[in-house]
Amino acid sequence: MSAEDVPDRFDPWPPGVPPQVPVPGYPNTWTYTPSQPLIRRVPTRTEATGPIRLDRKLLCGEANLAERTPGRFAIGQLIHLSGRILDEDGRPVGGAVVELWQANAAGRYANPIDQRAAPLDPDFLGHGRVRTDEDGRYAFLTIKPGAYPVPVQDTWWRPPHLHFSVLGPSSLSRLVTQMYFRGDPLNALDRILNSIPDEAARERLIARDLPPAEVGDRWLGFTHDIVLRGRRATPHTP
Amino acid sequence: MTTQDRMSRRMPTSEHTIGPFFPRSLFGAGDSDLTIVAPDASPTRRGEPILLRGRVTREGGVPCLNMILEAWQADADGRFDHPLDPARHMADPDFLGWGRAWTDEEGEFAFRTVMPGGYDDPVGRRAPHVNIAAMGAGLMRRVLTTVYFPDHAADHAADPVLALVPAARRARLVARPEGMADGLRVFRFDIRLRGTAEEETPFFDA
Ligand SMILES: [Fe+3]
Repeated sequence: MSAEDVPDRFDPWPPGVPPQVPVPGYPNTWTYTPSQPLIRRVPTRTEATGPIRLDRKLLCGEANLAERTPGRFAIGQLIHLSGRILDEDGRPVGGAVVELWQANAAGRYANPIDQRAAPLDPDFLGHGRVRTDEDGRYAFLTIKPGAYPVPVQDTWWRPPHLHFSVLGPSSLSRLVTQMYFRGDPLNALDRILNSIPDEAARERLIARDLPPAEVGDRWLGFTHDIVLRGRRATPHTP
Repeated sequence: MTTQDRMSRRMPTSEHTIGPFFPRSLFGAGDSDLTIVAPDASPTRRGEPILLRGRVTREGGVPCLNMILEAWQADADGRFDHPLDPARHMADPDFLGWGRAWTDEEGEFAFRTVMPGGYDDPVGRRAPHVNIAAMGAGLMRRVLTTVYFPDHAADHAADPVLALVPAARRARLVARPEGMADGLRVFRFDIRLRGTAEEETPFFDA
């Protein structure tokens, strides 16, 4: 592997996959989104690299959001969520840092910025962070979050969703995204989900339900794979 | 890994906004300090430690609260501790080169780092720089920009990435000296997310 490999490793985003911005009906995006065209550049070493062993800096191992005290579970539908972090060639990204945060069952975040009149749940930890194994696998035990309204003039409700932040081996593969649940009627109305033009790309943000009989009687099971940009992602190097 | 995995080309997962609720609990002590590889590590002793500060504003110059910023840069000698750097074996093992900060009510952020080194890339010699990604509510995609330093004005003309920025906007990517704090030189790099062509920070395609 040499620096000459850098440019062809990262293709541009495929059309329809990134959100289209600014978003009609989401007023904030009209004052935040840059108005000038983005400057295209060939990735050089600095753009294609990123921190290795970031788990030393960001301590990992918080995988259980729903049971802060053994035996005391958060309110809501318990779910076990697992999946793999892959690159565009389908290779597992081992050693990636996966951060998860979400609202509680009432649709409220344990964040001082969320001042909505919905109850907080002291037994629910609204965030977690794990490191993927050699197969790129991550897993969390959590609850299905509630929907919540977006306080804009022409309000809409965000469907139940989980926020993901994935730190892989490159700055270009850094990804912040959200995961949704199949069959929720709010999905079709969500201005954030529907800012992704390509239907297949939106579909890839929806978790796959596992057959309850396979998962057992303690929680519902979901799987969700996340694909980071970059072909032949840097192999995990301890 | 199965053969199927190896053969199938996959589409990347779409980006989404980080939103307003990225938890403070995911920030640890020292996250905004690029000079330490772990919370309890000693800072690197190579290079000149500096402070990089700035303010994030949106249209109309309104400060952006709770923006998340991530910085990534080479070490003091222009090397990365990463397999894609042919000189990785010489990279500073005590320098992480990555940090994360958030903005306060005034839109202000601060990183502690070392003055980066330049390096030779196949496409040309990169002047010393820090890459910054900004994420936040109102930004559906993260925005990417690059900070250069007034110390290396002579190197800027040759930098192949700076050369892609319209000449009139290049100065926006050079941090300004802002005195000293804690015995370190301070540099200021303000980020205007949206404004006129003169006001707006140049951003790069992801
Ligand atoms: Fe949310």
